[in-house]
Amino acid sequence: MERLRVIDFAVGDPFYNMAMDEAIARCVGSGRSPPTLRLYGWSPSAVSIGYFQEILEEVDLDFCRSKGVEVVRRLTGGGAVLHTAGELTYSLVAEEGDPAVPKDVQGSYARICAPIVAALRRLGVDATFRPINDIEVQGRKVSGSAQTRRFGAVLQHGTLLIDMDFTQLPALRVKEEKLKDKEAADIRGRVTTLKEILRRDLSKERVAALVAEEFGRGLEYELARGSASKEEKGLVPEFAERYRSQEWLFRR
Amino acid sequence: MERSAVRKFSGGKLLKVTVRSEGGVIQDVRITGDFFVHPEDAVEEMERALRGARAAAVRSILKGRVEGGGITTIGFKLDDLIGMIEGCVG
Repeated sequence: MERLRVIDFAVGDPFYNMAMDEAIARCVGSGRSPPTLRLYGWSPSAVSIGYFQEILEEVDLDFCRSKGVEVVRRLTGGGAVLHTAGELTYSLVAEEGDPAVPKDVQGSYARICAPIVAALRRLGVDATFRPINDIEVQGRKVSGSAQTRRFGAVLQHGTLLIDMDFTQLPALRVKEEKLKDKEAADIRGRVTTLKEILRRDLSKERVAALVAEEFGRGLEYELARGSASKEEKGLVPEFAERYRSQEWLFRR
Repeated sequence: MERSAVRKFSGGKLLKVTVRSEGGVIQDVRITGDFFVHPEDAVEEMERALRGARAAAVRSILKGRVEGGGITTIGFKLDDLIGMIEGCVG
């Protein structure tokens, strides 16, 4: 059975987080690192926007500035996400062609989200995968994922809302069109957290351990705890600087 | 002149196109939204390829790129994008 390197939960700043995901993707894609599951959190809070999104349409920059919420553009497509201290984020990186990840993009979302659904069910949460890239509980989103295929790798990263600081939601400019076919009238009603569902606090480390276990089971890997390689760590500062640059942020 | 079109598709993804054109000739196209395109660079290539084109040529330019080049769009269909761009050329 192939090994999945698991990089334990740690909190990073938004630019570091995106840079580390990219560094891992480049090293996995070129065969210099093994398939990897990384679990992480965000401090300070941030809005991440999708690769193709127009920043001024998605983000209330004045609100972000006044509240110390950072803004970062992801390498992956998809929508704008508010990341606060209550979130557990995962990134799964495998070489393109790894049998664990279907070639077909839509099928691979289902496959990579399945372990998260399984981990939620073990916690007693009735979660279901909702295509294209969400996990929901009773029609409310508790997890969203985004994928890119570059550098010879598949990188999928996504959120799991253990808790959320809803006071920071005005950082997102939500368009009415986006909610048209959803039951909820606004984003607050469209999103839920494990804390809301279970009415208790869960530790991110505990949920991260469950998620890792289920990734091993679901994608048929043997788990091997590890850390970022010297090469990956070496790549991070340069990438983080790019993610922090106005040129990258405002490219659309 | 500059015209935009926005559409939301089943599955929830939003696609916006903004086209600047003069005398029916595209000067600049921007394709934005929360969709996915693999490989991602294909979007910028499409935008570049459309510069200098008339509305009537949009379909063949984009069909040629997408169908010939192993490009996957998730969240919208190529025909949707083509129609929106054509409609924005003034």
